[in-house]
Amino acid sequence: MKLRQYIFTLALCITHCVFCMADDEVDFRANAPKQVVVGSPFQLTYTINTQARDFRAPEFVDFDHLAGPYTSQSSSTSFVNGHRTSSFTLTYTFTLVGMKEGTFTIGPATIKANGSQHTSNGVRITVLPPDEPVASSQSQQQQRPSSRPQQSYENPDNNVSRENIFIRTVVNKTRVHEQEAILLSYKLYFAGVDVAQFTNNTKLPEFAGFLKQELDQEEIQTELEHYNGRNYQTATLYRTLLYPQHSGDIKIDPAQFEAVLRVQTRAQVRSIFDDFFGSYANVQKMLTAPGVTIHVEELPTGKPSDYNGGVGTFSLNSSISSQEVKTNEAITIRLEIKGSGNMKLLKTPAVDWPEGFEAYDPKVTNKFKTSTSGVSGTKTIEYLAIPRAAGQYAIPPVTLSYFDIQEGKYVRLSSPEYTLNILRGTEDADASTVVQQFNQPTKEDITQFGTDIRYISVVPWQMPVVTKQMVAFGTPLFYMLYVIPLLIAIVLFIVFRKQIRENADINRVRYKKANKIAQKRLKTAKAYLTTGAKEHFYEEIERAARSYLSDRLSIAMADMSKDNIAEILRKKNIDNELISEVDKVLSTAEFARYAPSSDTQMQQIFEQTANLIDKLENQKL
Amino acid sequence: MKHVLYICIAVAACLSSVASAATMEQGNSLYANGEYTQAAEIYAHIIDSAAEQGALTRQMAPVYYNLGNSYFRCQELSQAILAYERCLRLDPRMKDARYNLQFAQTQIIDNIADTRNFFLRTWVTNLRNALSESIWMWMSIGMFSIFLIGAVLFALTRETWLRKTAFYLGLLALVISISAFCNATSLHHRDTLRAEAIITQGIVNAKASPDRSGTELFTMHEGTKVTIRECLGEWCNVQVGNNEGWIKLNCLERI
Repeated sequence: MKLRQYIFTLALCITHCVFCMADDEVDFRANAPKQVVVGSPFQLTYTINTQARDFRAPEFVDFDHLAGPYTSQSSSTSFVNGHRTSSFTLTYTFTLVGMKEGTFTIGPATIKANGSQHTSNGVRITVLPPDEPVASSQSQQQQRPSSRPQQSYENPDNNVSRENIFIRTVVNKTRVHEQEAILLSYKLYFAGVDVAQFTNNTKLPEFAGFLKQELDQEEIQTELEHYNGRNYQTATLYRTLLYPQHSGDIKIDPAQFEAVLRVQTRAQVRSIFDDFFGSYANVQKMLTAPGVTIHVEELPTGKPSDYNGGVGTFSLNSSISSQEVKTNEAITIRLEIKGSGNMKLLKTPAVDWPEGFEAYDPKVTNKFKTSTSGVSGTKTIEYLAIPRAAGQYAIPPVTLSYFDIQEGKYVRLSSPEYTLNILRGTEDADASTVVQQFNQPTKEDITQFGTDIRYISVVPWQMPVVTKQMVAFGTPLFYMLYVIPLLIAIVLFIVFRKQIRENADINRVRYKKANKIAQKRLKTAKAYLTTGAKEHFYEEIERAARSYLSDRLSIAMADMSKDNIAEILRKKNIDNELISEVDKVLSTAEFARYAPSSDTQMQQIFEQTANLIDKLENQKL
Repeated sequence: MKHVLYICIAVAACLSSVASAATMEQGNSLYANGEYTQAAEIYAHIIDSAAEQGALTRQMAPVYYNLGNSYFRCQELSQAILAYERCLRLDPRMKDARYNLQFAQTQIIDNIADTRNFFLRTWVTNLRNALSESIWMWMSIGMFSIFLIGAVLFALTRETWLRKTAFYLGLLALVISISAFCNATSLHHRDTLRAEAIITQGIVNAKASPDRSGTELFTMHEGTKVTIRECLGEWCNVQVGNNEGWIKLNCLERI
């Protein structure tokens, strides 16, 4: 009884352990080659890592079910440093064959394990057409799909030909825009030869005119591909992303790879093993991947002013640490540019900090992932600034323009405009106010940093209404506007011509000419003086004096009495001395004309008169 | 029946004016959004429709100004300069346009050295360009009338101060009237001859004779203002600064 109990406990322990292990995770999956050829059988396996039952396979609609399911189990247990690890697999194997070309899906299978139902993944299988009949008999063997390259038992010289092994240059696009990513891969195609390895003697082109972004090299896996009527094993040898840096046709030079092929030789020394296994030799072969020309289109015109070379699809996110801080406390604006495209060439947009902010160089963090579709990821930019002056400030939006390839147009992203309220910090408040009481704040001139055109006119505008201009330059009406006033003026002149003549200033003319006439008279008098014509002399002297006075004082000759003259002169504020002198000259000239007088007297009166006229000329009359 | 027709016409006119006002605003909002190419198209469309109606008056100046700004933003310097020049033709007193024209002219490559231009001559030309033809014309007519009034006053009054004032005022008015007339004539000639033009092609070589094989004399760049002296077929003789030469008509556009 005791023993039985012991055994039971042991059995319980073991089963428990089994279940413990099974508890980990039930993994139930289907496996099949991705590509198969029509008519060649392949294996579809379902694997589960625990004991299971009630396996239900899906229906194989597009494939012929040749055999299966065969069940096989395997388990292993290992102790490492006292730690036990064990694994268990249960495999169901089907042998199927593809009936027609195309891509087909085999639905999931179901199984019961650990008391619950589990479903496997479905598999997609591409069924390739068989080799075209032109291909030699060797292709018969090639139809057998395998994850390993097939060995050939044919004549080696025939096998290592261009049809059997070559490298293609595969680009996903040949017409692209500037800065648009191209995926270039060198793909090895081989059929009927065995590629042992590649030497280091690989010559890749320069990729001049491109920015190269190499992809992480995956483990080389072979795939079956139908190309030019034959099924080849293919392997991608090298992949890279290329970003064209200028427009135009850019040529990528051919690349060279050196492969080591295992080929069967006709051995000279024949042994029983040679016959059985065949004998092989390694042969080096240079394979050339053809060059390719990429047509790069220029980016369309109409680039936004802030465009700085971004091509792809991006989004912009921004945040600010705080919108209300005290002076001398830092503010951080975080800008997150997410997307895919030429992320690495994206320039850091600038934040236009207002005056009074001490800005520091932005901190840029890049998290990029390179995949076959291009570089994608996040570029985080942190802008740090310290406000030094209190007040309300607006930080203009940060803009990022890029060319969207999908939409084929420029897109501008913009962060929101931040309004900052900077309060006066406490620590410098006391100090600055104390200082400001004694010091005038430093004056700053308004300085212009940049120049640009002025903004467009935005005043409300209406289409002008067509109005005929009444008067245009050079038209008769225009000249009439000169002629009509002129005619009016002429008419006025004619009508009032009498008054005009009366108004004509004769007195003024006489006034101006007075001295000239008087001097002329004095000259004649002088002539008479030398000849001794006394009467004429006095006559001239008197006339000179009288006409001079008459002209200067605008008195008619008839009113020229001595009293009259004296009175007018007195009115004009002339010295009495001068008035008496005038009186004297006039009376002397009048009197001496008919009285005897000497030459000296004549000389004297001449000088007196000349003097008087000079003096009067200087007076304002 | 006739009244109905008039109403129809009036309504149509109102609608068309509303539509064009809307397009101006449309252009402005496109410009504000940075879509300068589309904005330029809209402004050009407005100008075309105004030109069809023969309504290229002073009110069109802001449209030309906005067009110029749009072209400037599209980096089409010569078209921008052309639009600013045309804007100033319509409204010489538009300060923003003058400022932007000067700014645009700082961007062009050619530096025109004109030693013939005596400073007084430049001054007179600037004075002439400062006002429009019709303003000069009305100024001339008005000043001529003031001169005549002065002359009549001078002849008919006895009062010395009035005569003196009338005499000097009349003389001044006559001088202004004559110079205003000269300016109006000069502007009228400029606008009818349309001899001034802007180079629209990137680089133009001026030749000594109006044919392809002519000796190349000098090179001009986009945006430079030239004066057309005469035309012969598809060639025209232009003067720029101290130089003159023959270039093709399609390299330039008249203002």
